[in-house]
Amino acid sequence: MQSQTDKAVEYLIVAERLSKSVMTSEGILDILSSIDLLIKPGESMAIVGESGSGKSTLISLLAGLDTPSAGTIRLNGNDLTVMDEDGRAAIRNALVGFVFQSFQLLPTLTALENVMLPLELSGDKDAKIAATALLSRVGLSHRLTHTPRQLSGGEQQRVALARAFVTRPVILFADEPTGNLDSKTGAIIIDLLFQLNLENNTTLILVTHDQVLASRCQRTIRLESGKLV
Amino acid sequence: MSHFNLALRLLLRDRRSGELTLLLLALMIAVTSSTAISLFADRLQRTMGEQAAEFLAADLVIASSEGLPAHWLEKATEWHLDQAQTKEFPSVLIENEEMLLGSIKAVSENYPLRGYLKITDSDYAQEKSVQNGPGPGTAWVEKRVLSALKLKLGDPLMVGDKKLIITRLITYETDKRGDFYSFAPRVMMNDADLQASGVLQPGSHVHYYFQYRGDPKALTEFKRWIKPQLNPSQRIMDIHDDRPELGGALSRAERYLGLSSIVVILIAGVAIAMTTRRYTERHFNATALLRCLGLKRRDILWLYGWQFIILGFLASSFGCLLGWFVQQALFHLLRGLLPQQVASPGWSAVLFGFITGMAVLLAFALPPLLRLKQVSPLKVLRRELEPLDTGTGLVYGMAFSAIAFFIERYTQDFAMTATLLGSGLIALLVLGLMIYGLLRLIAKLVPHVSLSWRFGLQGILRNSKASVGQIMAFSITLVAMVLSFTVRTSLVDDWQKHLPEKAPNHFALNIFPEQQPAFKKEMIQNGIDSSQFYPVVRGRLVKINNIPVQQIVSKDSQGESATHRELSLTWAKDLPEENKITAGKWWQEGQQRGLVSVEQKLAKNLKINLHDQLSFTIGSQQMNVTVASIRSLEWDTMKPNFYMIFSPGTLDGYPSTFLTSFYLPEAQKNVLNDLVKKYPGTTILEVDRILKQVKTVLLQLTKAINYLLYFSLMAGFSVLFAAVYATLDHRIQEGAVLRMLGAKRAFLRKVHLIEFGLLGLMAGLLTIVLSEVMLYSLYTHVMHIDYSPNYGLWLLIPFVGSLSVSVAGYCGTRQVVNKSPLTVLREL
Repeated sequence: MQSQTDKAVEYLIVAERLSKSVMTSEGILDILSSIDLLIKPGESMAIVGESGSGKSTLISLLAGLDTPSAGTIRLNGNDLTVMDEDGRAAIRNALVGFVFQSFQLLPTLTALENVMLPLELSGDKDAKIAATALLSRVGLSHRLTHTPRQLSGGEQQRVALARAFVTRPVILFADEPTGNLDSKTGAIIIDLLFQLNLENNTTLILVTHDQVLASRCQRTIRLESGKLV
Repeated sequence: MSHFNLALRLLLRDRRSGELTLLLLALMIAVTSSTAISLFADRLQRTMGEQAAEFLAADLVIASSEGLPAHWLEKATEWHLDQAQTKEFPSVLIENEEMLLGSIKAVSENYPLRGYLKITDSDYAQEKSVQNGPGPGTAWVEKRVLSALKLKLGDPLMVGDKKLIITRLITYETDKRGDFYSFAPRVMMNDADLQASGVLQPGSHVHYYFQYRGDPKALTEFKRWIKPQLNPSQRIMDIHDDRPELGGALSRAERYLGLSSIVVILIAGVAIAMTTRRYTERHFNATALLRCLGLKRRDILWLYGWQFIILGFLASSFGCLLGWFVQQALFHLLRGLLPQQVASPGWSAVLFGFITGMAVLLAFALPPLLRLKQVSPLKVLRRELEPLDTGTGLVYGMAFSAIAFFIERYTQDFAMTATLLGSGLIALLVLGLMIYGLLRLIAKLVPHVSLSWRFGLQGILRNSKASVGQIMAFSITLVAMVLSFTVRTSLVDDWQKHLPEKAPNHFALNIFPEQQPAFKKEMIQNGIDSSQFYPVVRGRLVKINNIPVQQIVSKDSQGESATHRELSLTWAKDLPEENKITAGKWWQEGQQRGLVSVEQKLAKNLKINLHDQLSFTIGSQQMNVTVASIRSLEWDTMKPNFYMIFSPGTLDGYPSTFLTSFYLPEAQKNVLNDLVKKYPGTTILEVDRILKQVKTVLLQLTKAINYLLYFSLMAGFSVLFAAVYATLDHRIQEGAVLRMLGAKRAFLRKVHLIEFGLLGLMAGLLTIVLSEVMLYSLYTHVMHIDYSPNYGLWLLIPFVGSLSVSVAGYCGTRQVVNKSPLTVLREL
């Protein structure tokens, strides 16, 4: 059996006996129970399952957006479960990128400003150059000054992809990235996502309903009622 | 990147999207109003103070029966105070075998430090205002001196051993005191001639007035320094305590100015709280994303904190500038009424406006802003996650502390601060409970009403916590406006009541008892309406319960001066008009002699209680009486007022004269000459000029507070609109969804009108309760005006509340009704 240290060196994410429960009016509800998960650097993994199976909860725990009720998560050797929210925020800023189903672009900022934002937060002086380059890479060099309202869904998600990759994250979490897009546009976005992933050698964790999309990942795990099957 | 730079960038980006307009507007209203009022009040107070100082001919006067120690005068020089002095004493003047008891006033070089004298060169020449007294070797006299001594301008007049040439007639003396019994024709001379005249000998009865002018701070310090050193024959006077008829009006007006400032700050505070709430709610998602991207909670606080500091700085700077122009405009509107010399604007008031802006922003914006710190990064995945509300204690605590600070700062009056805060707090608690009660009542109605009413009512009930907050905010704004309006109306009414059109402007003194019936008849024949004729006996209060009064009173108390001079004692069967018994009972017919009714303030100062024994000396006799009642009276009515009124028969056998006051129009002034001729022993005191001055001041104050009221009302309505707009997001969204589901425009309009109309109506109803409680406390404990509920307002307020909230709501939700629902939803 491997020691904790060995695992931390070999794997980017080590999750052990991960559980999440919430209190409801009808008693305790287990959303996730005793999940063990190891993810190597550069690996791509899809998390699939029905609605309410706990996919989004799992991704939020792995990304340090939420804390488990029990179990531990190590991200790049850092134990997220013993850190406070500010500690986790620092890890997110340094290592993690996100792509959401609902894009989560700031409506008051232009495409360029949205992409610049994470770099600005970390004090990067060349934020504008990097953001412009990445927006060109995703085919939006002509849309730099447009606000999200002036962009189509596909274009908005491309901006979100550019924002996710602009910090060169070690790991990217994507929550149903094509959920709000038609199949044709979705396919284009997914192609772009995998290309960027390859170019940046990023670890990718993807939540999806789509089997075809899942099959493009190196590994797929399935959740049912909060358990790995 | 530093928090500041990032905050600045985000702020600029927000500005482009129009997110900041409402917040900036609310802040600007706060700063503009507080700067304008602070500046206006400061300038007006100083102008009024300067004008009131004219009555004293100085800012501060020390009255004394002897010269002051040299080091006092040095101290005044040290504080850079300008000084002047006058000496007043009676002296017998003899010319052309005629004799006259003149009131001599020797004035020093700088006299008058404030105000002016009016003089003429002859009977027919135009009056001329001057700011100096007569030069050495000359005298200025009242016309009566010339007629009594058969003199004319240019003639010499002997004052003691000194020959003075009469060069001018005095027609107005800025600091002439209404001291009835020392009222004798004035002869004004230069102080330099006094020694040569030799009239002042050791033991002469002289009143010294040492006058000072200068920086208010220096004056306060000087006053504080000198007060403990005064001996019993010395007294300090300034504009607030020397002239009770003006002092009352001034301090009430000052309190009103303070109240207006608080009202505007309160209104602006509500606007800031409401708009910041909207701002934060609109930034939940952005904050969640920033948190997701790695910003710590502290960073979030700094980020938004800086944004608000930058906003506050910009709005405060611009608001100060705007406030400066507004107060200039106010002074421009008032220019016809104000004296030509208006005090210049003080920069400290501008600075205070700026600080006010920042402080109001901090107190009212920080609590809702702190909610952003609570936003979970998980909200990026779960939109429905709302951050916890900042603790109620913090929200109200900060606002409450800020308001307390400003009330104390503006009024420097603990009673007013405690009254406003105490009654406001109690009323607010009651208010909260009442709103919940009303909402529960409305909930019961829902199943029984039509669809549009159901939607309208559910709009209020759906988020009852938010509705309570909104109703409270509308109520506070309305209460502030009602307070401003009602207090202003009462003050003006009160002044007018005290100084009606035909307020007595002349006093007749020393009417001998045998002449009194004829005098009265003469007045009736001339159509002159006089007040009651009061018998007057001069006497001195010497003992209270057999203890000499000097041992009882403290040196600087107001009552102290009453023990050092003779008082006018009178008797009366009935309680005089405008007198009120505050303790004990007024005597019944046939009740025994030997009772006295004492004026309330004097009783307090001399520690006189009911049933105390008071001893008076009248002439060479001593008399003992028992205190039967304590009375309050209005000193600013210009009618004869008495500290001591005795029961009928008590003063029988003592020499007495009569006193009355009457109104004489300018056109009938010649009647005075006949009266003076027929009753040579009687003194007529003309107070019409003083009265005119008082009236002018009151008129100025009335105009000034009227403009302040309009200003407060304007601020109130703007804020009410802003506050309604700040609550519209949810309503617009729901409206758009309803329209997508096929609701007609008319239906939506009706739903909105019902919802806003009801919100305004409830706010209006609660405003009545809250404002009546606060008005009662304010009137009874602070302004000392009679309180009576204004039933007209009870009908008007709910109507105004309902109408203004409905109009604001209607305008704000118009886009839901007129635009395509899809466009509306996309814009949200």
